Amino acid sequence: MVSLAPNITEIVYALGLGDELVGDTDYCDFPPEAKKKPHVGTMVNPSLERIVALKPDLALGTPEANRRETADQLERLGIPLYGVAASTLAGTLASIEDLGRILGRASEARTLVAEMQGRIDRVQKRIAGQPKPKVLFVVWYRPLITIGPGTFIADVIRAAGGAPIGENLKGEWPRLTLEELLPQDPGVILLPKTESFSPSTKEFQSLPGWKDLRAVKEQRMFFVSEAIERPGPRLVDALEEVAGILHPTGP
Amino acid sequence: MTLPATPRNVIVVAAVLCLLLVVTVWVSLTMGAVHLPWSDVWAALASPGTNSEAAVIVREIRLPRILLAIFVGAALSVAGTGLQALLRNPLADPYVLGISSGGAVGAIFALWIGGRVAAASPLAAFVGAVVTMVWVYLLGRHGGRLASYTLILAGVITASFLSAVILFMLTLLSTRDVRGIAFWLMGDLSVTPVKELRILAPAIILAIAGLYVLAKDLNVLLLGAEEAAHLGVNVVRVELGVYLLASLLTGMAVSASGAIGYLGLLVPHLGRMLVGNDHRMLLPTAALGGAILLVLSDTLARTAVAPAELPVGAVTAMAGAPVFIYLLRKTAG
Repeated sequence: MVSLAPNITEIVYALGLGDELVGDTDYCDFPPEAKKKPHVGTMVNPSLERIVALKPDLALGTPEANRRETADQLERLGIPLYGVAASTLAGTLASIEDLGRILGRASEARTLVAEMQGRIDRVQKRIAGQPKPKVLFVVWYRPLITIGPGTFIADVIRAAGGAPIGENLKGEWPRLTLEELLPQDPGVILLPKTESFSPSTKEFQSLPGWKDLRAVKEQRMFFVSEAIERPGPRLVDALEEVAGILHPTGP
Repeated sequence: MTLPATPRNVIVVAAVLCLLLVVTVWVSLTMGAVHLPWSDVWAALASPGTNSEAAVIVREIRLPRILLAIFVGAALSVAGTGLQALLRNPLADPYVLGISSGGAVGAIFALWIGGRVAAASPLAAFVGAVVTMVWVYLLGRHGGRLASYTLILAGVITASFLSAVILFMLTLLSTRDVRGIAFWLMGDLSVTPVKELRILAPAIILAIAGLYVLAKDLNVLLLGAEEAAHLGVNVVRVELGVYLLASLLTGMAVSASGAIGYLGLLVPHLGRMLVGNDHRMLLPTAALGGAILLVLSDTLARTAVAPAELPVGAVTAMAGAPVFIYLLRKTAG
């Protein structure tokens, strides 16, 4: 089978089916073995020729990353495409179970999901009753783009005991002007730690508008692992990390 | 160089270009993200029953794209040739007149309303192109007739306005739709299935033939509208006919493959350099030359950064812009 999205690749490996993966995208980098698989291109524009040459029985995709055109083209070529979508934390767990079911690893999937749910429950117990700080998740900062309320990232923040800013915004990645942001006054700012995006907190302290934010002045800006951007098995790692930031344990 | 457009010369030139096209197609069939030896390609074409991966790649992935490139390349180049003659302006091309932007607006509108891009948008794109064509005509006519100056102005203004509309609509679409449309706006020869080509190809051939019928009149039109009228050409009818056919060709091309620029602009110039200004010779040259160039561009788009693909509109722009600058310097100097 061929995976057309990095989160699906992670799920396939987590279900123990790494050997049956004949190809994945250029961006599939976890687990490290996935980087050595034959690549079929990008998520948005995979090479149909490479996919056909790999003779897959099945292609796995997600409407969040892949295009309808790709689905149509695969259909015309007679390659079945199965899609999973996850717009919430619960949806991510459900998609793992779903994939497990159709790939014949239902019990492994259930075990994995149960373990993930257990970790989520433990976090929720620990932070129960604590006040929820307002959290700004920065997807991009020039201009400011944050996450919409319906995304799984917002869901993770809520589950980790935070209140994501942007509940009234529409879409998946809405733009937010600094004017709108300042009155909201987030207590914590989260940034994903990716290769292409790693401004330093010092940089924000000199940006107009940003430097007036309480979270910037008090240095409550934190980088989180990019696992938070992948609706897959490591999403719970990200949740625990965010919970640790928002509600630190210990003295 | 001007080759007198005797029937014999036209046939010879057309035959040479056809041969070149066949060679280009053959070479392009062997190139792609997956390396296939010539023997595999030949086997795939010769025995329609085989279902090996090579056969699927050649027949179902590469061949449809190449066929579409032939017809879209011919359509855009002929439309550009016609418009440059009509407007007596070497900068005229289907996009200057806003027709392609109209097609894009139609497609995005269909997407916004809902439904799958592949299903609704080719028709919507065509409708958008035709509506824009009518609009630009009504805006740009002068004294009941097409006037080059006002028509180009009307086209440029309409194209700018429609670009702004497109950008606005892109902000309204959900992110995943935007990704799909972005590729379409940059040219994508892989989206149209072969069965649509069964309708598209004859229509494009008919429209090109229609323009060919007007070829002699186009030659006379180059002298100027007044002069042409004095020489007995029904100027109003010819102008309308060329405008209509060029716009239809553009609408069909854009609805099948998105926005591919520079072909309509450059191929007529290159054709004129090769065979001169007689449209009886220039039109077939432009059609076949445009087909060859678009097939080559698409092959480059598929192979330059494989397995990723460049949008073919980007390739024609990157290759076309320097060629255009060169032509500009040559004619200026």
